[in-house]
Amino acid sequence: MHRFVRPQLMLRDSKQPLLPRAGHLCTNHKSVVSSVRGYVVLPPTSDEEEKAMLHRMMRVDHAGEYGANRIYAGQMAVLGRTQISPLIQEMWDQEKQHLRKFNEILAENRVRPTLLLPLWNIAGFALGAGSALLGKEGAMACTVAVEESISEHYNSQIRTLMEKDPEKYTELLQLIKEFRDDEMEHHDTGLEHDAESVNLNYCHDRMSCMNYNIKIQILNNSNN
Amino acid sequence: MAALIRGLRAGRALRGLGGVAVQGTVSLQCSNVRRGFHRAALLRLASDSKSDTSVPPPSYHEVHTAGESSSSSAQGESSEDAQPNTSFQDQSGEHGEDYETEEQLQARILTAALEFVPQHGWTVEAIAAAAETLGLSSASTGMFNNGAGDLVLHFVAQCNAQLAETLAEQNNQVQLGQAEAKKTAEFLKDAVETRLRMLIPYIDTWPQAMSILLLPHNIPDSLKHLSTMVDDIWYYAGDRSTDVNWYTRRAALTGIYNTTELVMVQDSSPDFEETWAFLDNRIKDVVNMANTAKQVQATGEAVVQGLMGAAITLKNLTGMNQRR
Repeated sequence: MHRFVRPQLMLRDSKQPLLPRAGHLCTNHKSVVSSVRGYVVLPPTSDEEEKAMLHRMMRVDHAGEYGANRIYAGQMAVLGRTQISPLIQEMWDQEKQHLRKFNEILAENRVRPTLLLPLWNIAGFALGAGSALLGKEGAMACTVAVEESISEHYNSQIRTLMEKDPEKYTELLQLIKEFRDDEMEHHDTGLEHDAESVNLNYCHDRMSCMNYNIKIQILNNSNN
Repeated sequence: MAALIRGLRAGRALRGLGGVAVQGTVSLQCSNVRRGFHRAALLRLASDSKSDTSVPPPSYHEVHTAGESSSSSAQGESSEDAQPNTSFQDQSGEHGEDYETEEQLQARILTAALEFVPQHGWTVEAIAAAAETLGLSSASTGMFNNGAGDLVLHFVAQCNAQLAETLAEQNNQVQLGQAEAKKTAEFLKDAVETRLRMLIPYIDTWPQAMSILLLPHNIPDSLKHLSTMVDDIWYYAGDRSTDVNWYTRRAALTGIYNTTELVMVQDSSPDFEETWAFLDNRIKDVVNMANTAKQVQATGEAVVQGLMGAAITLKNLTGMNQRR
């Protein structure tokens, strides 16, 4: 998907929010509305260290959402014609929205995306498809494990930002809290739909969790 | 470092007192300044401090006379010097009203040194000559730990800052509707040409500069400058990708820029026509490759669709698709 947009005026030059221009196809109305805003998520800063930290956070989050996206895609590829598919599709759509939001943030703030994206692409799809092959319970177990990891990750980010300066990072905190709540919702949905019914799920839980944690660790370390 | 600055201030103050800004030809002033520097140099060797943020402000008189001459030019330098050299000692918090920081002073000297490059090459001699035109002793080249490397990196940073300014200005024009937006290929070509044209005054000595940039201890800095420049060009060209394309585009442009630079240093055609033709061809190549990649992907998808259709047809024919 091509993302070619004519560069916008820098925020300091005008009061206009950075809007995606005509070249960007917005098929989802919700995304158009959510991108029209009078504030910027990342607070502008001239401190190099702080900027690096924020960029790192956004890079990891972007990679995380991208991976989650691919996991659901894998699950849908296998379970797309079954009864559970509308549910997975709904969760996938929410993840797509999250990813879109992070894409916007990365583009606006000129944050470098992680180099490991092709790896997360394949790994995520494989994890999703693999867990779905174990049936609906497998897919739900995978969802539960992954969403638990993501929520933990977002929580630790929220803690970090709160420790530094809650006032300054209000919008960013709001965004991360919102996404964390969405992920918790997915986690609970997964639990509702018999994720815990099979013994197998214990190992599977651990594996998905581990996979996700490894991913986050690699990202954190490589971008430090 | 503190003592060195004090020595410089003393030198400038004495010059002010003398009433004539001469290139160190007045022997009395010269010897005073040299003595000050000698003392300062000794103190510097003795002390171990890397960065001295607690420089006590010199006397009011010194500040006043030093301030007049340095404040105007310092402001010009600090706005231009968007990316200060990383080997400079960091005193960015030192902005008093008439107080020139060491960074600003170094920037001033290096900018002045660029004029002497055609004559002396990218060497410490150029810096020394510049220091003397500014009324400082040629021993002030001791401030630059990296010598010629500092000079080259300063020049590169200056050019990149200028390029970024030009691109931002063009962008503003397009936003305000006063200019037409260029196509990507044309934009890239113009941006790279603009940047390479800044080398023209120094093209004869540029191979020397390039080899300095390739020295192992300079490579991190030169790579950083290169990657920032390429990122800037793509950003203003409209690239907002957040996937692997981010890397492939920048890698492609880096390749184009480096090869065109190499062609330029051995180009002898009038106004470097051959270089611009080479640049044009390389950009066309990259655009072609991108188009081909897109076509291959589209074809691949079409083929997959075709195969899926054939498989489904087969399943239908053999009755495998019926619901049981």
